[in-house]
Amino acid sequence: MKTMFSYIKPYKWYAFIAILLMLVELSVELIQPLIIKKIIDDGIVLQDTATVWLWGGIMMLLAFLAFLAGVTNSFFSAHASQSFAFDLRNALFKKVQSFTMTTFLRFPSAGLITRLTSDVSQVQQVLFMSLRVMLRTPLVVIGSLLMAFYVNVSLAGYLVIGAPFLAMFLFIMVRKGIAYFSAVQKRVDRVNRVIQENLQAVRLVKAYLRGMYEASRFETVANLLKKDTSKALRTMEYIQPILLFVMNVSLLAVLWFGAGKIQQGQTQIGELVAIVNYALRMTGAFSMFSFIIVLFSRAKASADRMEEVLLIDEGLEHDVEDKGQLDIRQRGTLRFDNVSFKYPQTDEFVLYNISFECGQGEKLAIMGATGSGKSTLLQLLPRFYDASSGDIYVDGQNVQNWPLEKLREAIGYVPQRALLFTGSIHNNLTWGKTDASVEEVQEAAIQAQIHHSVENFPNGYETRVGQKGVNLSGGQKQRLSIARALIRKPEFLILDDSTSALDIKTESALWDALDGEEATMLVVTQKIRTAKGADRILLLEDGQVSAFGTHEELVKNSTLYQKIAASQQEQEVDDNA
Amino acid sequence: MLKSIRQPFGYKPVLKKEDLQKQHNKKVARATNWRATLGHIWHIVDEQRALLIVVLLMVVASSVLSLLGPYLIGKIIDNHIMKMQFVGLPGLIYGLIAIYIGLSLSLFFQNYWMIGIAQQTIYRMRTGLFTKLQKLPVSFFDKRQHGELMSRMTNDIESVSSTLNSTFIQVFSSVLTLVGTVVVMLSMSPLLTLLTMVIIPVMFFATRWITRRTGKLFKEQQQALGALNGMIEESISGQRVVKAFSQEQRMMEEFAEKSSKLRHVGFWAYVYSGGIPKVMNLLNNASFAIVAGVGGLLALKGQVTIGTIVIFSEYARQFTRPLNDLANQFNNVLSAIAGAERVFAIMNEEEEKDAASRTAIRQLQGDVNFNNVSFKYEQTEEAHTIQKVSFHVAAGQTAALVGATGAGKTTILQLLARFYEVNEGDITIDGTPIQAMSRQHLRSQMAFVLQDPFLFEETVRENIRYGQLNATDEEVVDAANKANAHDFIMKLPNGYDTFLSADGGEISQGQKQLLSIARALVADPVILLLDEATSSIDTVTELKIQEALERLMQGRTSFVIAHRLNTVRQADIVFVMQQGELVEAGNQQELIEQQGIYYKMLKESKA
Repeated sequence: MKTMFSYIKPYKWYAFIAILLMLVELSVELIQPLIIKKIIDDGIVLQDTATVWLWGGIMMLLAFLAFLAGVTNSFFSAHASQSFAFDLRNALFKKVQSFTMTTFLRFPSAGLITRLTSDVSQVQQVLFMSLRVMLRTPLVVIGSLLMAFYVNVSLAGYLVIGAPFLAMFLFIMVRKGIAYFSAVQKRVDRVNRVIQENLQAVRLVKAYLRGMYEASRFETVANLLKKDTSKALRTMEYIQPILLFVMNVSLLAVLWFGAGKIQQGQTQIGELVAIVNYALRMTGAFSMFSFIIVLFSRAKASADRMEEVLLIDEGLEHDVEDKGQLDIRQRGTLRFDNVSFKYPQTDEFVLYNISFECGQGEKLAIMGATGSGKSTLLQLLPRFYDASSGDIYVDGQNVQNWPLEKLREAIGYVPQRALLFTGSIHNNLTWGKTDASVEEVQEAAIQAQIHHSVENFPNGYETRVGQKGVNLSGGQKQRLSIARALIRKPEFLILDDSTSALDIKTESALWDALDGEEATMLVVTQKIRTAKGADRILLLEDGQVSAFGTHEELVKNSTLYQKIAASQQEQEVDDNA
Repeated sequence: MLKSIRQPFGYKPVLKKEDLQKQHNKKVARATNWRATLGHIWHIVDEQRALLIVVLLMVVASSVLSLLGPYLIGKIIDNHIMKMQFVGLPGLIYGLIAIYIGLSLSLFFQNYWMIGIAQQTIYRMRTGLFTKLQKLPVSFFDKRQHGELMSRMTNDIESVSSTLNSTFIQVFSSVLTLVGTVVVMLSMSPLLTLLTMVIIPVMFFATRWITRRTGKLFKEQQQALGALNGMIEESISGQRVVKAFSQEQRMMEEFAEKSSKLRHVGFWAYVYSGGIPKVMNLLNNASFAIVAGVGGLLALKGQVTIGTIVIFSEYARQFTRPLNDLANQFNNVLSAIAGAERVFAIMNEEEEKDAASRTAIRQLQGDVNFNNVSFKYEQTEEAHTIQKVSFHVAAGQTAALVGATGAGKTTILQLLARFYEVNEGDITIDGTPIQAMSRQHLRSQMAFVLQDPFLFEETVRENIRYGQLNATDEEVVDAANKANAHDFIMKLPNGYDTFLSADGGEISQGQKQLLSIARALVADPVILLLDEATSSIDTVTELKIQEALERLMQGRTSFVIAHRLNTVRQADIVFVMQQGELVEAGNQQELIEQQGIYYKMLKESKA
């Protein structure tokens, strides 16, 4: 909760003013019974018309004052709560941006989405309500109580007989509410996840006719959400009737004993009437009270979930300050020194004792069976993951010493799955270099063999790409994704099997175009043909280096390489037939 | 200081005068729209009519009891305390205790059951929307961001939910309380009652003025929230690329922009909707003053008693409270409508047209014929993605599709599975046009390995079983074995029961393809569609599964897209695609002899 308050802080003055205005409203309301008492005791009983007029007029004026205060309050509390939510959302999003890929494994995207929208809304709602009505309710209760005591201490005492019981009861209910509502939000995560999966896999679901199956899967999660929400809300429903009952009985006690005191002449009738009036106000506030407790418990549950994200300090991208004086001696070089890696929460090493070196401008091909660790190895370079042991040197500097942005700027990374974003093609390409000129964009596109295709689109570079590039073919996506990396003229170009959907002709044109590149290239490939063109080949087997050398060396020395070559030789033999 | 104090008033208005005027003109259309939306919701609520009636009875009970309470207290003050007459007082007090118990119970149960009704309604809306999504064509999803659709399922439905939980009871009890209060007030003092009612027209106009604005603002708010959700979802699921290109800053700016839009709209929605209770408060206080002042004057003339004033001042509050609630509820209903409209907008989308599966589910042979098929995607303005393609693949044959990227190979397969509808020409299987078959029938005969393998957050076993839900565990293992996936599966922490994280987080792309092949193997289809099924798999492993695939293709019509020519070489017939057209067709030998495009491709591959 503390963290949440720190986000309210910048707006505390607005909140403060809002509360002051609310207090103005409230005091008007609390004074009213006093004025009625005056009208009765001084006006009617004493038969004084002028007093009645006077106090009636004052009441009217006060009503307008309260209205003015109330409307102004709306502005202040809306500003404070909306700005608070705005800051909170941005802070959450910023935090999420700094997650390492490992942390993303712990917080699935569906859960993060819920936190950034639904959870923020819950808390924002409560803040707004607090500044306007919520704080008011406890104040009405306390204020009414104080006024009652002011009017007549002994009678008012009956109003608080049930208080200790109620306090304990509320305490238990709030704790229950928080637990239940936090379960509800988790269910929302699940619902979000199933929808997200179905949107991502819409073709798969349709292809296998799993629409009804998915619907029943969704029904399960939606049903759990329904059950948990009902449970949480229903539990909260105990509050109002019980509060009301205790209060009503206290009111009866006031009447009963008040009647006795009037009989004995210890109390005036006006006093009893005023106290009854205050007590009725308190009961009126109680229905609001239970509503507040529901909202508060819900918000607390949401706040906890958000704090869970905001307070993470492990699993964030550990960045060093950019002092601008990184000692770079061997530009374009790369060295893995005894690097091992395993994913968190798994026991098996994906990479084991990997060591190799790569000179400036060298082209290194990485080969190996499916699951041998090729992609994982590449992901260590831009530090998506950090090595479990061993060191990686880029430009002669340990990657741990690089400011992240500098490091990644030096790398043009083309992931295995071409991933584009909603927006124009031009927009997607300038991801690689934000200030790229039109010429630079085209140049990169030409090099990536996609310029021609783009030119043929009716809107050229302004053609809109749907989410994940749905309206483009697999090969087009891959080439755009390559162009996006080329545009930054990287020191290191990383291609993670990024040409798998390209036909042979386009692919060889691409390799030709890349030949002139000065970048040090790391290329994951399945094809001996591509590997042949590389200066050296790193062959992985079950996460270990099986062979490292030129094509000729490997053909001679590595049985695994021979096997791979053979698997592709066969084809050529056949083709010749 | 002054400047910062002015800040809350510095928001630019979101609503323009034209908007409001336009709204005025369109009022009729809008009203019917609202009615339709509310009708939709009511339809679902109405399914639980019995429970609803019980709830309403409880509301009647609690309303009567909550009126009876203060009435009796007034009586006690007037008849007993003022007159110092204490005989009979205990009886009244006992009566009150009984009333209070009844009140508490009826309050509890009305809410308890209403929550059930509301949550059931929400559940039905959610599952209804989800089922609807399953029936929409693929092209619908191409146009939308995932996160935006997710927002409809959660945030929009949530806005309906929170309204439904309270509004129903509130509106009904408000009306009841209102009627009851007026009756009692009239019986006590018609004059004072009339005075209290002065506020009604004022209230009416004020509420109308406000809700005309909030209705629109709520709608914009839900839209802004949806857009934000879309952006969050996309940026998080594409996080790897964001990081690779150090675009965090850009993402944050884009996010801040969308988030700020939401803040802006939200601010005005809050300010306007927050106005309703304030206006009500004013009227409430004013009526209180009127009752006290005028009542006092009347009391001086002996026309009313002091007890009447006390009770009346209380009733004046009781009178304005339901009015206040009604106005507030009206506002809540508007916010629910804003959410519900976005939900029902999807419910009204056109579903995939489907032939009734009257053609009794008979086993297809798999004789596929494309006749002059042309097609273009909705969003592109390109002339044609596929142009006048005709070919024939006999039952049991294997056809390979080759050609440059973007030539339309994947599109051919998607048309065959009716993910999209052809614009011209027709596709027949065993002589029957596919439009005449139900999709259910058509796809039940097919198995797919898609270009982009997708895995669910499920165990490995369930992911494979997805191809055939009633496959036994042995069949699953068998398929995995054939797909060469068994070995790596056994190395996973829990073997087949390993739970995969979102989209198979920790396993490699090639392994995903192996699982996806195993999934197709389990399905045992008549027609097999392989779209670059082995593109990320190393060639040694590929050779191993090749045999299994060959066996799988035997006796089935298969379509294979591949760039590796050793996959192609087993095909009975090869189709060469170029820019959406079919330019060459024939078996490998024929094509080589033709020395056309295919021959050139082969040569290039060896160069």
